[in-house]
Amino acid sequence: MSTAAAGSPTSPATALVDLGVKACTAYGREDLAARLGRIRAGLDDPAVHIVVAGEFKQGKSSLINALLGIPVCPVDDDVATAVPTFVRHGAEKTATVVYEGRRETVDFADLRRHVVEGAEGARPARVDVTVPRKLLSGGLVLVDTPGVGGLGSAHAAAGLAAISVADAVLFVTDASQELTRSEVEFLRQARELCPTVVCVLTKIDFYPAWRRIRDLDAGHLRMVGDIPLMPVSSPLRTRAVRANDQPLNVESGFPDLVKFVQERVGGGAAARRSADAAADVLAVCEQLAGQFTAEREALADPANAQRIVDDLNAAKRRVEELKTAAARWSVTLNDGTADLTADVDFDLRDRIRKITTEADDAIDEVDPADMWPEMEEWLRARISYDLLGNYTYLRRQATELSEQVASHFTEASGEAVGLLKVYNPSFLVEEREVEHRIELAKMTAGKQVMVALKSAYGGALMFTMLGSLMGVALGPIGIGIGVVMGHRGLKDEKKRQLERRRAQGKNAMRRYCDEISFVSGKDSRDTVRRVQRQLRDHYTRLAEELNRSTAAALAAATDTAKRSQADRQKRLKDLDAELTRLGQLRDRATKLAGAA
Amino acid sequence: MSLVARTRAALDRAAAVYRGSGFDARIAEVRERLDEPLRVAIAGRVKSGKSTLLNALVADRLAPTDAGECTRIVTWYRDGHTYRVTLHPRSGAPRQLRFSRDDGAIEVDLGGVRPEDAHSLDITWPSQALRRATLIDTPGIGSLSERVSQRAWELLAPDDEETPADAVVYLMRHLHAKDLEFLHAFHDTEVSRPNPVNAIGVLSRADEIGVGRLDAMASARRIATRLGGDANVRRVVQTVVPVAGLLAETAATLTETEVRHLRAVAALEVKPAEELLLTADRFVNTLPELGLTSIERESLLARFGLYGIRLASTLLRQDGQTTATGLARELTDRSGLTDLQEVLGSLFFERRDVLKARSALLALDALARGRPRTGSPAVAAEVEEIVASAHPFNELRVLATLRAGWLGGKPAVVEELERVIGGTGTAPHIRLDLPPDAAVGQLRSTASEALVRWQRRAENPMTAHEMAVAARVAVRSCEGLLADLDGRAR
Repeated sequence: MSTAAAGSPTSPATALVDLGVKACTAYGREDLAARLGRIRAGLDDPAVHIVVAGEFKQGKSSLINALLGIPVCPVDDDVATAVPTFVRHGAEKTATVVYEGRRETVDFADLRRHVVEGAEGARPARVDVTVPRKLLSGGLVLVDTPGVGGLGSAHAAAGLAAISVADAVLFVTDASQELTRSEVEFLRQARELCPTVVCVLTKIDFYPAWRRIRDLDAGHLRMVGDIPLMPVSSPLRTRAVRANDQPLNVESGFPDLVKFVQERVGGGAAARRSADAAADVLAVCEQLAGQFTAEREALADPANAQRIVDDLNAAKRRVEELKTAAARWSVTLNDGTADLTADVDFDLRDRIRKITTEADDAIDEVDPADMWPEMEEWLRARISYDLLGNYTYLRRQATELSEQVASHFTEASGEAVGLLKVYNPSFLVEEREVEHRIELAKMTAGKQVMVALKSAYGGALMFTMLGSLMGVALGPIGIGIGVVMGHRGLKDEKKRQLERRRAQGKNAMRRYCDEISFVSGKDSRDTVRRVQRQLRDHYTRLAEELNRSTAAALAAATDTAKRSQADRQKRLKDLDAELTRLGQLRDRATKLAGAA
Repeated sequence: MSLVARTRAALDRAAAVYRGSGFDARIAEVRERLDEPLRVAIAGRVKSGKSTLLNALVADRLAPTDAGECTRIVTWYRDGHTYRVTLHPRSGAPRQLRFSRDDGAIEVDLGGVRPEDAHSLDITWPSQALRRATLIDTPGIGSLSERVSQRAWELLAPDDEETPADAVVYLMRHLHAKDLEFLHAFHDTEVSRPNPVNAIGVLSRADEIGVGRLDAMASARRIATRLGGDANVRRVVQTVVPVAGLLAETAATLTETEVRHLRAVAALEVKPAEELLLTADRFVNTLPELGLTSIERESLLARFGLYGIRLASTLLRQDGQTTATGLARELTDRSGLTDLQEVLGSLFFERRDVLKARSALLALDALARGRPRTGSPAVAAEVEEIVASAHPFNELRVLATLRAGWLGGKPAVVEELERVIGGTGTAPHIRLDLPPDAAVGQLRSTASEALVRWQRRAENPMTAHEMAVAARVAVRSCEGLLADLDGRAR
């Protein structure tokens, strides 16, 4: 399945969801229709993020330009990209510079001024670009990132942070030399954070020995894991696109890359999205069918009607309990959030405390006057790494909490839904399928957290955060060269000055760490709160839906008693027809969910 | 008394103090080193082109080069009467090794010793270029095998003693955080730190910056200038020079056969030539009527790189009369090697005495403090006296201070200061910003004017304290210049 098909109105997923919406509307369940409507919107605008990462000057921007066949990202021999650039599909070429808290539309041709190193004025958080290219029309978003500048740098941490919410990573390395240790290390970490990583070997037109480098790199990559390696030449591709020269295009190596991006990345994401959508349609089917089945049972066997009404009443009470604050899932969520906040905060403090100690020791060993810029760089890098670590911790814990809440919710609601389901043996699905559905439920649980995290960071977590913290500067270091002329006592004077500089350095460093602690502490508390809200809203909504389903079933079952015999027969026929239709919808959804 | 003479005197005193204490050999070694050629280490990240540049500087293909990681052992290249390779193992006595020269490069048979167990290789080779400087090839930092990079650190930034090298040429491709860290570690702690005095930056593989376009070197020069002006870089290296190492190496060892092959490429029309040189693969595989075998083409590529072939064939096309020698000279110029040699000359070789004395004094200081003995405090005091008072060291100290950005003042004044104290080269005309052919009379009158100017600055109560101190150093420099010029006139 190609990406283009996933977003277009004819894709199986959209068609299925549309059908689901129609059914919900027909049965007067606009709440369920609204739920599917949200899914539908997600299918229309899938936003699959592909982060292009790598060391400085490896040809990342050139690669994006060659991939799209038009110059988008500024390329220069000297200065490098300094601001992440998000390139997505749009009817026209536009460029928007995003600063913290404000957006500004700029001339497309003027982009260079904003994204390269050394651009004057406030540094933007990111730049959003739209271009009318078919490759992106399926919702792909290419993200050009600043070079990582060696592992252990602040940039590398920011790059990894961006990768943690990306759907795929194109790691760019050129054919001038084999992968370095820091590149391999970066790849290893990226591999843990993102499921799809591909290594692109650039500049193969220029380096005669690129095949050797490719083989060496392939060897290094095997140590990291299953990462494909694709040799390409951006200038050849650009030339091929300009001259519409197909053989040259093949020589450039790009067709393979395009195919990979469209099928493995775009297609993979589309398949995941389809499965998610199908799972939601399935859930909706279940509720609707449960409602009809209960009514049908009551109609078909009037003697049993009272028992069914009683059962449904019991189910309704259960569901109502689900909605209250005393429900187990709700308690789990509230307690879990409090624990999560405390744990994440402790983790952060602990990390910062260790950094401070380490920095103190480091300052004691060197002369801050010489090493301050490096110290600052080191500190920044060290902190970014620990912030990333803290963030990963938060992410892991939040996902765990989400899974717990989900299982408590499913447990409780399952009984209610089970009561609904009892009357429809056709819904007793095979064991295997149940497992499959549990897997899906787990995925959905994780997804809720990712939704909250993505909305918080927008895919570029620390670019903005570090930017706002860089301002903390060390005051001028008082240094005199007066002593240089002295004869004796030179050493003592030097030592005295050194001590003073060290004390100053430590103070400045502590202030910096305090500031970081404060800002990111607030940030992670906000994030946890967002996660909590997201989960609470999600499950409250589910409970509401269930409530309506049970209420409707109860009302219908109660009504059966009042119906005349002829009316009953007619209604039974109608219900059977509806159930058949729902069964068909369910089958389609099951098939689509199974296909993923 | 000159700096070297004072250093020698200190060494003599130390020799007397430590006689019979087991450190005689150490002191003899330091004294020997004082008279040796300058030791210049070539360092940099993995694959920055260290061995290639070494070959270009020696004008001979001595060091093996390769697309993969190549240099694994610290290798010393020094001048001598015979061809000899000595292995210094980590433990045990040094031993002589067999070697062969295959395709130019020296191939050493380690005789069963694993590279990890070798401390260094010492290659003695009769060579004009090595008479001026002993060159040290180092394994790259950032190598995938930790131990290989560790070796470069041990050589250039040992924890406990003076650095074995007197100066370092640091190769960088684009400046990395690691590069700065490395340069800092290399700088010593005693004669003021950080110290840009003993390091030059080379923007290596410069032809690759513009991915082999014909104007790639212009681009590289622009970048080198920017890097050279960057505050962080200025603090650790004196200047940054762009060099296309491969081209420089090939130009220095160009053969007639290669020129003949290049002429075949130059004989093509512009359009087909451009098509042929579009990619390295195409150069090897297309246009069979060129009359070169694929082996010949591959060897041309290996020697020149795509940029080199593009440039050389263009030069030959423009002027068909060019001889091999003429082409070699032109390519050497274009590769940036000529500029680098000039910079090495004015910043390292002319300062040989200061750099040598500095290394010796550092070693002596470490010895006197680390191994106290009756009389050793006097040695330490003498070393400190020299370090604190010798004018060349004061110049270096002011230079370092200025480079670190701690010396405020009008930009024009700071620039003049840097020049006068020899920051851009120690020849009189460079210090006085005059053309190289300036007459002695003109040099003397300019020096006198400078002397008056700096005296005024030194005595002006409005001058900031730091600048006043620096101005006094500049005054001494001007006086030294005048004395030197008087000596020359006589």
